[in-house]
Amino acid sequence: MKYAYYPGCTLHTSTKEYDMSTKAVCEKLDVELEEIEDWNCCGALGAFSYDYFLSVVLPARNLALSEKKDLVIVASCNACYHNIAKAKKLMDGDENLKKKVNDVLEVRYQGKAKIRHLLDIIVNEVGLENVEKKIKKPLKGLKVAPYYGCLIVRPAEIARFDDQENPQSLDHLLKKLGVEVLPFPLKVKCCGASLVVSDEELALRLTRNILLTAQSMGASCIAVTCPLCHTNLDAYQHRLELKYNVEIKMPVLYFTQIMGLAMGIEPKKLGLDKNIVSTEKVIEVVGEV
Amino acid sequence: MTIYAKNLDPNFKYELSMELGGENLEYCFNCTGCSCGCPVAEVDPTFQPRRLIRMAILGMKEELLNSEAFWKCVSCYTCFARCPQDVRITEVLYALKNIAVREAAKGNIKIKTTKPIFDKLFLDSIKNNGRVEDAMVMAKFLYKTKGFKGLLDLKDLGLEMFKKGKISILPKKIKGKKQIKNIFKRAGIK
Repeated sequence: MKYAYYPGCTLHTSTKEYDMSTKAVCEKLDVELEEIEDWNCCGALGAFSYDYFLSVVLPARNLALSEKKDLVIVASCNACYHNIAKAKKLMDGDENLKKKVNDVLEVRYQGKAKIRHLLDIIVNEVGLENVEKKIKKPLKGLKVAPYYGCLIVRPAEIARFDDQENPQSLDHLLKKLGVEVLPFPLKVKCCGASLVVSDEELALRLTRNILLTAQSMGASCIAVTCPLCHTNLDAYQHRLELKYNVEIKMPVLYFTQIMGLAMGIEPKKLGLDKNIVSTEKVIEVVGEV
Repeated sequence: MTIYAKNLDPNFKYELSMELGGENLEYCFNCTGCSCGCPVAEVDPTFQPRRLIRMAILGMKEELLNSEAFWKCVSCYTCFARCPQDVRITEVLYALKNIAVREAAKGNIKIKTTKPIFDKLFLDSIKNNGRVEDAMVMAKFLYKTKGFKGLLDLKDLGLEMFKKGKISILPKKIKGKKQIKNIFKRAGIK
């Protein structure tokens, strides 16, 4: 199984642990990831607000680059996945727009490229039974709150592989790893996304609900599928604690990091020392790998 | 709130509908489903997507563009998913932001929120490098909007990230950065 890997900007910088754990887990699952050569930023959430056309053109270049190798793109970030899939949908449904985009690009988007999220690939292509075969150490005793975020399930016309109100793929995957999966009611409630930049106070009210709910349910950690959600829930957690004078200390792990632990991959190789909130509590529960 | 008909711009709904993303604006029948499910409305009752759509349809252009409200949308697509009329509210708000950015560039309005400043710095980084070094964009943004005080306020997080090897000072440039510059130029983005 081979895919065109689109890590997105943050996986090379502030969320390296997602990149590390994605690669480590995919290697064990015999999923070959070939990084798209010279890929560019998808525009994140800023391009749409600034100039809608630009937000189609930027991902279109990546779609065009992937067509050279004829490989399906796999993205680990919810926002990258959304942007690239959305650009494809808009262009495929509007010849005029596609022409306009191709006029400003120096590479040509033909319409063949495909994009999927890493979670979709692992659950629906690799398959849970094959994931199960690679498990060395079921993670007994770990209580996990599955958190999907938004753009991995919405809007349904773009993100089609799971339900938009009560998705299950991450729940099923985590169950296979031997953890206790909590029925997390805020699994698709927004973390605040880039609002944390311009209106931190408001964004922190959103992350607060998510973190405190997980805490009150007795979660040992939260599992996420997106570097933006991770930044808000993990990196900003201490600021939230100070602001509301609460102690949360909730480890927030990428689903690939939890998978890696169950597969017997050493924590360092999964970047577990790079999460901002200490993940030691999780490693303690899981025990020596 | 009193709405004066003389201040309304009856063509605004058409203007907005012509934008990418704004096409389905007029399908709204004012049911409030969008506001009910909105996570931002839950923590900030002054933010009501239904009200924004209503204002747009009525033609309250000036009030709408000068309000900070629509910049608070977090693009979670919850309203989009639940709207029975397929108004595509998240997308309509993008269209609205696009108009606001252009009107502000012409000097017709002044945007009070700092979000577009961040977006612009973010896009500048893409334009110059092809990719984004998120922590550096954030630092530039803090300095630009709050000066040294802003930088100091986030120094603990910055330091922690630096220690964990998550910040590189120099941005990684892609080989095709000239292509990207040309894309911006041809798309008419300064």
